[in-house]
Amino acid sequence: MKETGKKRILIIEDEEHIAEGLKFNLSRQGHEVMIAFDGVSGLQKWKEWQPHLIVLDIMLPGINGFSVLQSIRLADERLPVLILTAKGAPDDRVRGLSYGSDDYMTKPFNLDEFLLRVERLLARVTWSRGEEKTGPSQQTYHFGGNEIDFNTFTARCRQGTIQLTEQEVKILKLFIANRGKPLSRKHLLEIGWGYTGVTTTRTVDNFIVRFRKYFEDDPQKPLYFKSLRSVGYIFDHD
Amino acid sequence: MENHPKWYFHPVLIFISSVVALAASLFLYIYWYVEVSSGLKDVVRRYNLDTTRFYEAQTWVVILVLSILVGIILAGMLIIFIYNQKTLQFYRLQHNFINNFTHELKTPVTSLKLYLETFQRHELSREDRLKYLGYMIRDVNRLSDNISRILDLARIESRSHEGEFIESDLVQIVEAFCKANTHLFQGSDIRVHNPSGSAFVYPVNVPLFEMLLMNLLTNAIKYNTSERPIVDIRFVPQKRRLDIQFEDNGIGLEKKEIRKIFKKFYQVGRSDDRSAKGSGLGLYLVRQIVRIHKGKISAESRGPGQGSIFTLTLSLRKARAA
Repeated sequence: MKETGKKRILIIEDEEHIAEGLKFNLSRQGHEVMIAFDGVSGLQKWKEWQPHLIVLDIMLPGINGFSVLQSIRLADERLPVLILTAKGAPDDRVRGLSYGSDDYMTKPFNLDEFLLRVERLLARVTWSRGEEKTGPSQQTYHFGGNEIDFNTFTARCRQGTIQLTEQEVKILKLFIANRGKPLSRKHLLEIGWGYTGVTTTRTVDNFIVRFRKYFEDDPQKPLYFKSLRSVGYIFDHD
Repeated sequence: MENHPKWYFHPVLIFISSVVALAASLFLYIYWYVEVSSGLKDVVRRYNLDTTRFYEAQTWVVILVLSILVGIILAGMLIIFIYNQKTLQFYRLQHNFINNFTHELKTPVTSLKLYLETFQRHELSREDRLKYLGYMIRDVNRLSDNISRILDLARIESRSHEGEFIESDLVQIVEAFCKANTHLFQGSDIRVHNPSGSAFVYPVNVPLFEMLLMNLLTNAIKYNTSERPIVDIRFVPQKRRLDIQFEDNGIGLEKKEIRKIFKKFYQVGRSDDRSAKGSGLGLYLVRQIVRIHKGKISAESRGPGQGSIFTLTLSLRKARAA
């Protein structure tokens, strides 16, 4: 199964021995491999290095694997992610798959099986590459009198047409994906920015102020981006 | 998913409503009693019987007895409620422990299996082979450490250690222990200070006492972000007792943590994101060992990042300062 050619694989795993062993085996398969030992550096390496596949552990220091996965899925729906974790309870599997992992393996695992699954995931990416350019998925979103265009990063709202930054688009996607569900500042910061809870949460508040200015008819009495006392924020609309 | 019971099954709510019901019933008992007895009084008055004083005294006796009984019921309910809460909390800690400990056991096993399969699959260079064998040995050590910690716990809890106390000099034991285990404390400084210069002879169970030292010292080094971890062990004789202080330059403790760290299965940090490391057994073992030696252990810290001091207090009544 070596027809997939040389691919970049990122391993996010805090146990050095396991990460090294995986790296050795995947390199022997002819792939380029990088290791990140925690969630924050994992996200950073994912952005900089643009891997073809990610092998992800769940119990990581700082940001846990579920948050890393959610963060990746906001920007990239297709990147294959294989979860490799000691957490084997059915609830954890369901959680991992519902956040958009492509495969879920529990430790201790069988090496041959792991390598075959990795090759399979990589092969599938190669096949689907052709469709990627032709098939436009859901690219606009409406709420109230607002329209967001995720292709051009623009929004039509009460201020007219405005240009959105990449970070704003990401946070909007996060709110839309969690419509009607409360999101804590800590959670927003972890998934939207890839920070741990230590950093000031004021950043989140500033973004909300901006969104309200863009999208709310009366920013003082928000209808869509509502505050929840001592929890965080909730996005909802009719 | 966790099974969330309905809100009206919440123990606090049940407790509050039964207290309210009890208070209401006490009020009604007294109210009705007073009503009935005043009705009786009317009867007494009508027939000109001279027993008013007797009735008045009886009223107060009845109210007093009822109040005491209700008070006892209330106290009983409170005790059951607290006990129930403690059990629940302990159950949660234990659940957490099992999750964590499985992770602690699974990780080295996973690593071992991975390397064994790698060896089976590939012809490795000598250099790689030695490196990976080194990893495997460390994994086996980690595994056996975890297993022996569980066995230690079982041993201490079954009290199969009794009657193994030997009169020994604590300073000597500590110094010998540090010397024998230098390989474990590489890259860190462990300094023993005994300003009084005297020996402190005390009946100790040496293997248990060494287990205590091991737990305190590895904690001080493991939970430490300083460039070079330092542990100062000080022997401070007080009037009727001996204090042994273990001061480190580690990550310190939060005030609200200090009360809890000696509890069985308790871990600082959350288990979900691996900010909690270890088994949650170490300091519990330490406290049990100290209890066996009829001493006390306490912790203090100037706050997170400021290091912490663990003080072991042994009463000197039985010991002789030689």
